[in-house]
Amino acid sequence: MVSRTARSIGAVLVAMSLLSACAGSDTAATDGGTGVTSAGPWTYTDSAGTTVDLDETPTRIIAHAYAAAALMSFGIEPIAIYADGPIKDDVGLQGVDLDGIEVIGEEWGKIDVERAAALRPDLIVADYWPAEEAHSGMEDGVEEKSKKLAELAPVVGPAQGDSIVELIEGYETLAASLGADVDGGDASAARADFEAARDAFREAAEAKPGLTALAISPFGDAYYMAVPKYAPELLDMQSWGLDVIDPAKPDKGFPYWQTLSFEQADSYQPDLLLFDDRNYPTNLETLEAQPIANSIRAFEAGAYTTWPAYWLHTYEDYARSLRELTEAIEAADPDVGDR
Amino acid sequence: MTQSVVDRVAIPIRHARRLPLILVASVLVLGIVTFLSITWGARSVNLGTIWRAFTDFDPASASQTVIRQMRVPRTVLGVAAGAALGLSGAILQGTTRNPLADPGIMGINAGAAAAIVVGSAVVTAGSFGLSTALAFVGAGAATLAVFAVASLGREGATPVKLALAGAAVTAGLSSVTTALVMTNVEALNELRAWQVGSLAGRYANVVTATLPFMLVGIVLALGAGRALNGLALGEDTAHGLGQRIRLTRAVAFAIVAVLCGAATAACGPIAFVGLIVPHLARIACGPDYRWILPFSAVLAPIVLLSADLVGRVAVAPGELPVGVVLGVLGAPAFIVLVRSPRLKEL
Repeated sequence: MVSRTARSIGAVLVAMSLLSACAGSDTAATDGGTGVTSAGPWTYTDSAGTTVDLDETPTRIIAHAYAAAALMSFGIEPIAIYADGPIKDDVGLQGVDLDGIEVIGEEWGKIDVERAAALRPDLIVADYWPAEEAHSGMEDGVEEKSKKLAELAPVVGPAQGDSIVELIEGYETLAASLGADVDGGDASAARADFEAARDAFREAAEAKPGLTALAISPFGDAYYMAVPKYAPELLDMQSWGLDVIDPAKPDKGFPYWQTLSFEQADSYQPDLLLFDDRNYPTNLETLEAQPIANSIRAFEAGAYTTWPAYWLHTYEDYARSLRELTEAIEAADPDVGDR
Repeated sequence: MTQSVVDRVAIPIRHARRLPLILVASVLVLGIVTFLSITWGARSVNLGTIWRAFTDFDPASASQTVIRQMRVPRTVLGVAAGAALGLSGAILQGTTRNPLADPGIMGINAGAAAAIVVGSAVVTAGSFGLSTALAFVGAGAATLAVFAVASLGREGATPVKLALAGAAVTAGLSSVTTALVMTNVEALNELRAWQVGSLAGRYANVVTATLPFMLVGIVLALGAGRALNGLALGEDTAHGLGQRIRLTRAVAFAIVAVLCGAATAACGPIAFVGLIVPHLARIACGPDYRWILPFSAVLAPIVLLSADLVGRVAVAPGELPVGVVLGVLGAPAFIVLVRSPRLKEL
């Protein structure tokens, strides 16, 4: 019953729920111009390999909320956004100044395309999900009438692939093509700050060889363990030296998680537990209520923190999250899980 | 005098003398299912460890914790809630003389859902304990509301009026729930956990909160057989036999409110058990409610725990909530039952 699970994991779970071809993304290029280079034409090739050519550089952009956060961190402001849930509760949108931006969706799978059409967008920007071959808002499971958003303008966006850094760099390139000064003061300061945070994370991880971490999302009657292969931020952490455990048997047909019954929640004994931050501390309470919780040694020892789950889109957020994780790593005991 | 007449309502049937034996056999089957429910699950635990979980409990052992603090409460709830639902189904069917009466159509599940939704819309953060209390109050209030509405008018709560009142209260409460859920995300999230009945994730706190109510209700319900036999003859006859029909109905509904309220608060809405089990009991023992009630109390937990066991293995390593399993297995089983020539008339 995975598709019934969390609202908060739900958005991502449902978004990722079926691997199938996308109807939306390919229609993007049909709107395009000639590709001839002259004053104002715009060319962009996204991670899906689709090249979009327009006569003029787009200015009226509708973006998925996370894509908007990324673009805005480089100084490009969309005219409207659509989010996966109520914006005020969205951990990935805290601190993003959305004043003056229209909201045309606050529920996964539902976008007000009529209002979108009235805004006459010339570009739609959203993450691309390689596993689903679709951009956010055009995946399987989204209302058919909402998917028509893709008919209003070309849809582009970097992929949720192997690294959040690559994702942010993708938005950096896109923003630059749209006229942003990505080498200017604020943007490069954020990048430099992120690099410092990343280096500190790497150092902390290298100073604790043998420290293992497990990313989890206890929800309802099940213990969900995140599979790093499909969580770019966890792949990043692995590449920076933190041993994030790869669950052995990702769920069939839905490999983003491995689901365990709470009866088996002690199967993995990491030294540090990482809770999905989107429904924290509800998921913490869910685990706490399980009699078996104290058989997970890291939990009993209080060795847990949160991980920014599937929403990171800016250097600023990434730097802050990495600093919190670095502290947790520095405080962690690499032998907790081994006892 | 009246007593002997009412007693003769219980039409002597061929295997009347064997009924105690059949009941004992059913209890044995319940024992086997209970044993399986404790020993069988996502985690495999050997019998020695299970034995030690009871005789020499070591809280540091994860396997013993699973047995003692997860599977035992789950099984206890399964037995108690099963008996509660089976008995309330039998009482509702007897009181309303409606073979399709069950907690679902008498507004009870709708009442629990509405109370949870209203509660989480008014008080923002709902805890599991609060939801349980709300479900209990809502289920009880809906049952009493159905009875009160049906009691209006000179002839009191007749079977037809009860069925209509149940349908009306269900529709009214459902629309309240829907209206709130469409406008309030908190309420929707709170309700989500209550849309499907389940025995999983209910531990000692839920058992302590709901078990006493279910036990009291079960004891009271088991004593209602003779009164239900009277009602089964029809109002005029029962009245002629000196039964106080209105009082009997009121007491019966109060018992049902306690049983269903507690069972729904503990496990969420569980369909089909209350509907099917009394019919199975009739097939086993005939039309005498003094037998139907104990049979329902034993057969219903067998059905509920078996469905729960199916749910544990059907989609391993995950689990299917028992409410879903019963929905999938219950519908065809009910059709077979309805088509069966052995289905006893009420």
